Amino acid sequence: MPMFQPVDEKDVTRAIVGAFLRQFEEYAESDVIIVGGGPSGLIAGRDLAAAGKKVLIVERNNYIGGGFWIGGYLMNKVTLRAPADELLRELGIPYEEAKPGLLVADGPHACSKLIAAACDAGVKFANMTIFDDVVLREGNRVAGAVVNWTPVTALPREITCVDPIALESRLVIDATGHDACVVKKMEERGLIKTVGFGGMWVERSEDLLVEHTGKVLPGLIVCGMAVSTVYGLPRMGPTFGGMLLSGQRAAKAAIEELEAAPSGPASVR
Amino acid sequence: MIYLYDEPRCEALSARRIADYLRDKLGAPVELREDVFAHWWSLGTATDDDAAQLAERIARAKVRNPAGGLSQAHLLDGETEFELRRLRSTEVRAFGYLYDGPKLAAAYSDLIVPAEAADLHIVFTNQLVGTWDPGDRRYHARTIVCSYPVLISTTGLVEAPARPREYYLLRQQYASLGMSDAAEIDLGPQMAECCLFHDDPKLTEVAKGYGLQAAFYYLAGGPFCSDPGCRLFNAHWQTEMLYAQLKSPYELCPAHESALAALREQACTAD
Repeated sequence: MPMFQPVDEKDVTRAIVGAFLRQFEEYAESDVIIVGGGPSGLIAGRDLAAAGKKVLIVERNNYIGGGFWIGGYLMNKVTLRAPADELLRELGIPYEEAKPGLLVADGPHACSKLIAAACDAGVKFANMTIFDDVVLREGNRVAGAVVNWTPVTALPREITCVDPIALESRLVIDATGHDACVVKKMEERGLIKTVGFGGMWVERSEDLLVEHTGKVLPGLIVCGMAVSTVYGLPRMGPTFGGMLLSGQRAAKAAIEELEAAPSGPASVR
Repeated sequence: MIYLYDEPRCEALSARRIADYLRDKLGAPVELREDVFAHWWSLGTATDDDAAQLAERIARAKVRNPAGGLSQAHLLDGETEFELRRLRSTEVRAFGYLYDGPKLAAAYSDLIVPAEAADLHIVFTNQLVGTWDPGDRRYHARTIVCSYPVLISTTGLVEAPARPREYYLLRQQYASLGMSDAAEIDLGPQMAECCLFHDDPKLTEVAKGYGLQAAFYYLAGGPFCSDPGCRLFNAHWQTEMLYAQLKSPYELCPAHESALAALREQACTAD
């Protein structure tokens, strides 16, 4: 008696392809595209999906989670400062208090729980997918993302030219970290000028980062380390409380934008 | 008349104790007011446009490059919106950006009503303020900016005077291990005796001396003293500041003590 249900290879292929295409077709338009599947993007996605919004996270890597798997010096413990402990408890992530207000959690456990929370809330992912450009509408409002398979970037142009495709959304959140890829695309068009030079202060950067999270251009919200790049805030060490709170702030800003504007082409779940 | 504006964002600051101290020392009337923006809103004359313009002026006072001077270009909407949120609510407490002190004071001067224009206004703020030094061509963070109004930065009290060298060496070591958070949390207790830290219970006592510096700037034309034991000493190191404000056997040097006595007598005569 075989252990597993007998299936043919074509059944497996059709199962994968069918499920993928159904989801991809459904998410050709959404309420929010989050570019970047690191901690700030994940928590923003979770909160948005929990509020009933249709959310797609685009991540260029195969793995989701960004830098949340490891802390400094490739050691896989992540540190967060209070008040991020509230979020850790909400997500069911065990932690220790190294000192009052300084929390340490296992990177793999924390990151897995965060990814699971986003999935459980209903966020869908397009990983191995690289952001290529923005979709713009009247008034240079950001209305989606142009994407392609990440491996395409490794192909020499002399061999092939592979066109990207466009996904529409009512809002885009740039959660791409220091690179601030989406904002930089707007900067290439002369629609924004990022500050790019930090202030003085590692310790205070998290507060500033959370406070500056929000809409940066019509249709575009920025969160996480991308905020630092946009506003020239000080860089910080491997500390993640600010990333999580920034993601939450971005979700709140996005919900306010979505509920203030008349319904766009994307359907709300 | 002296008007003192509180900074509720700095929980360690007791502006009431500073007001009482100045009243006692100077013999002059001192009125304590709430946060400078809250006071402005309470006057009932500010409009949303006024607030937007003020927020933009404050945002333009930010120093983008401490080594390169003030940049007026490319103000982002988010920067103005941050300042607007800040001036609408003391719940917005984040600090860490450096502002050009005189430019910031110029923005705040618009909040002073004409009837009080000739009085001394001392604004406590948790924003870090600095001044440009053409000598070494960079901004320097300051504890006090003697302008109109006078700005005393609670963050500047902690960050402007330099900490002992050992502090920076230890912090570098923590940073090389990727533990900048631990540096901030751990080094406080070790350095408590020779440095002021954020939320430090010593902060109000230290700030009293800077309130006195503001008063001397306004009343006598000069805020500073070269005597390291005098409250008016212009400290460049944390250890110097704590000595002058907390540990010196006397509050003021003989010269400033007699100047203060003269000011007190003048205040009594005016009454």
